[in-house]
Amino acid sequence: MEKPANLNQSQWQAVQHEGSHLLITAGPGTGKTHTLTRRIAHLIPSLKSNESILAITFTNKAARQMQDRLAVLGATQSRLFVGTFHGFCLKLLRDHFEHTALPKDFKVATPEDITGFDKAVLERISLKKSSQLAISPDDNYKAYQRYLRQNSWIDFDDILREALLLLEDDNIAGLLRRQYRYIFVDEYQDSNIVQNALLKVLAREGVLLTAIGDANQSIYGFRGSRVELFRRFQEDFTPAQILTLQENYRSAPSLLAASGQVMGGVQLLAQLQTQGKLIIHQAATDRAEADYVAHQIEKLIGGLDMNTSRRAVRSFGDVVILYRLNAQRHVMGQALEHLGIPYQVSKKPERSEVYSDEEALGQNEEAIEYNVEKVLLMTLHAAKGLEFPVVFIIGCEDHLLPLDLIGMKGELQEERRLFYVGMTRAKEHLYLTHAKRRQLFGQTLLQDPSPYLADIAEELKAYEAAKRNAPKKDPDALQMKLF
Amino acid sequence: MKFFADLHIHSKYSRATAKNLDLENLYLWAQYKGIHVVGTGDFVHPKWFKELEEKLESAESGLFKLKDKFAKPIDDQIPKSCRGKVRFLLTVEISNIYKRHDKVRKVHNLIFSPSLQAAQKIQTKLGSIGNISSDGRPILGLDSYDLLKITIEADPKNLFVPAHIWTPWFSALGSMGGFDSMEDAFGDLTKHIYAVETGLSSDPPMNWRLKQLDDFILISNSDAHSPAKLGREANVFDTEFSYEGIYKALSDKNDKGLASTLEFFPEEGKYHYDGHRNCQVRWHPKETIKHKGICSGCGKPVTVGVMARVEELADRDEGCKSKRWRPYQNIVALPSLIAEAKEVGSASKAVQEAYMSILSKLGNEFYILLDCPIADIKKAAGDVLAEGINRMRQGKVEIAAGYDGEFGTIKIFNSGEREHIEQQMVLF
Repeated sequence: MEKPANLNQSQWQAVQHEGSHLLITAGPGTGKTHTLTRRIAHLIPSLKSNESILAITFTNKAARQMQDRLAVLGATQSRLFVGTFHGFCLKLLRDHFEHTALPKDFKVATPEDITGFDKAVLERISLKKSSQLAISPDDNYKAYQRYLRQNSWIDFDDILREALLLLEDDNIAGLLRRQYRYIFVDEYQDSNIVQNALLKVLAREGVLLTAIGDANQSIYGFRGSRVELFRRFQEDFTPAQILTLQENYRSAPSLLAASGQVMGGVQLLAQLQTQGKLIIHQAATDRAEADYVAHQIEKLIGGLDMNTSRRAVRSFGDVVILYRLNAQRHVMGQALEHLGIPYQVSKKPERSEVYSDEEALGQNEEAIEYNVEKVLLMTLHAAKGLEFPVVFIIGCEDHLLPLDLIGMKGELQEERRLFYVGMTRAKEHLYLTHAKRRQLFGQTLLQDPSPYLADIAEELKAYEAAKRNAPKKDPDALQMKLF
Repeated sequence: MKFFADLHIHSKYSRATAKNLDLENLYLWAQYKGIHVVGTGDFVHPKWFKELEEKLESAESGLFKLKDKFAKPIDDQIPKSCRGKVRFLLTVEISNIYKRHDKVRKVHNLIFSPSLQAAQKIQTKLGSIGNISSDGRPILGLDSYDLLKITIEADPKNLFVPAHIWTPWFSALGSMGGFDSMEDAFGDLTKHIYAVETGLSSDPPMNWRLKQLDDFILISNSDAHSPAKLGREANVFDTEFSYEGIYKALSDKNDKGLASTLEFFPEEGKYHYDGHRNCQVRWHPKETIKHKGICSGCGKPVTVGVMARVEELADRDEGCKSKRWRPYQNIVALPSLIAEAKEVGSASKAVQEAYMSILSKLGNEFYILLDCPIADIKKAAGDVLAEGINRMRQGKVEIAAGYDGEFGTIKIFNSGEREHIEQQMVLF
């Protein structure tokens, strides 16, 4: 078979791979989803009539996108299950309900359903459920499980654990293995131990697993993801081949070089010749920082009124503003509002979005009634998998990146990966801004720049000072004093 | 009934507008100017909408009047000679900034509504899409096409009017942020657009040169950002004094309800010629072509003005008329004429005093500019101003054309001419 023009050599190799499990290490912008969907489409014709493919994505949105892409490639829905781990496992529980220990009328409890428990307690329980296979329950845990049972509820974490229990039944596991001959898992670096166990049960007896991801982009350790699983893939699934995609089709070469330096010498091969721009801006305060960002956006858009107009190629939808903590959002939003710049706060994929079943899918579907562009605001975590021509990362300060602030402390390596994820979202313009003084949680903090900034070679950075560009007076506004 | 209407203005809630742009001052200045129907502007803005609800009451169908308790205190300030009926019509301008076919588009659009309910529907819809409370002329990342859709879905009697369609940066056909045709911008919904606004820098004959504009009627408004700028362009209707009358005049191709328009001299507009304001480069389009569009000051492309853009898209020669053409009269604002006659700045106190004095002697500004016998003006305001108005009526003015956001400058008299006119008066 001849290599299609829209696949590079390593992508083509990954698409065609046969005979063993496969881990594809795919850095940012290397065509991960493209390769995955191509491989799925490539394998479908080899399936027997009663066989199908299981493709696991990180979010419902990613699942929809993959379905759309596969539809374009002519892959029929009947040979495929595309969904999240939660979506797939819930389907298993419903399909084989009689083999579970669940009450007949069990329902999935959303976080909003659960009352009477401390948020921190719930977080600890959830972390336990997603990071340990055998749990030694403490009193809180017992009380919580009792509460769920009384309401005939299972929570999101239980969906996976109950499915794992179900698969202890060899008949059912065998049935699934005969059905799903190929399993695909996207964002493998963010899978947890329970998900790993599920895969170990399913990917046996001739079932082949293809996992794809990037250990440098593992950012969900705080809720149970284990980047080590990525590293020990060949031990968990044997025999396994590892392939690496290195050609980056997203970022300008200079931006790619800069993010590589932050990630300790990661070197992807830039395939674009675009002109990159990495700007470092120091502001006196978080407010000044927000004003700077808002004015830069105004400039990029080419002015918002007649008096500041200039040529531009950017519109609102080209721009994203990323931050470490949701608490940074408010001041930023105010500055945008002040200039009348339309924006939208995008939530990170919460558990409720990770989970899915048929009804939930319908409800989560946003009504796309009109074409509306807005500047997006989101946390660095939520930016995973996205790309934008222009990216602002605000609050590039020590104690924020890496996070070590008022009782919140991120794992050091994971914080660095998070910053790397943020940087690698940018196609052409990347602004890294920081403030000397910041108000957070009612405290005034004196801030130093993030140590990550120093990891970027000087020749790749441009420092931009705040310009006090006095707003040009509108001639009408002047003449209004006429009478 | 014959009446004057200015349907594109802003309130104090829009950016870079006068703080006194409220309903009371609109009511006052509409009478100074001789305007009978004035747009409310900004009806999408929640605070302004509240003021509209509070201070206006229904008058003729689809038109609103300032409640007596708000109007009474102002009536005393208005010279008896100027007092007239003022009605408000619900209007708003939206700034649509979005990407289409990989190009950033910036288009300003006007919406007229027949009722507070219809206006509120639009307000609610746009409020759910974007931020409508930080600017009376809200900036939305919404495609113009979708705005048009929202407008006609909210009420079929809403009117959608692409604003100042030639302005380079912010208009449907502008050289910098626009499209090459109305069809490109509005697709299958174009048929729901009946009127387009010519803007200050173009006049009707320029627009008649495009076949694609044949189906639209051309309207003219001030786009005032302060009360004193009201009526620098306006529409003269001769139809039923109601929203319905105006709606029919614009939407019905056989209706003759729009009698004529009052126009800026297009050269006076901010974007008639090409150039760069900061580099003080002002070029006739021919000059621009000679320089291949590159500014001799900074080496970057110049801002292409309206004249060049019309030439680029025109598919008829100069001097042709479109199917729905209407007569028009070029006007110069009276304060500018007084300033020119007196050789003082138009913002000076002398102009201000003379303006009020002339208004109280003769009547409202439109009357003075358009209809007042020259002999009466002479008697009330002197020979030089009378001659200035006479020349304006005949189009005998010299204008250094505006460019890249800089207004053009008007010259009616040559040096020494004013004295000459005055001496003639003494002699005869």
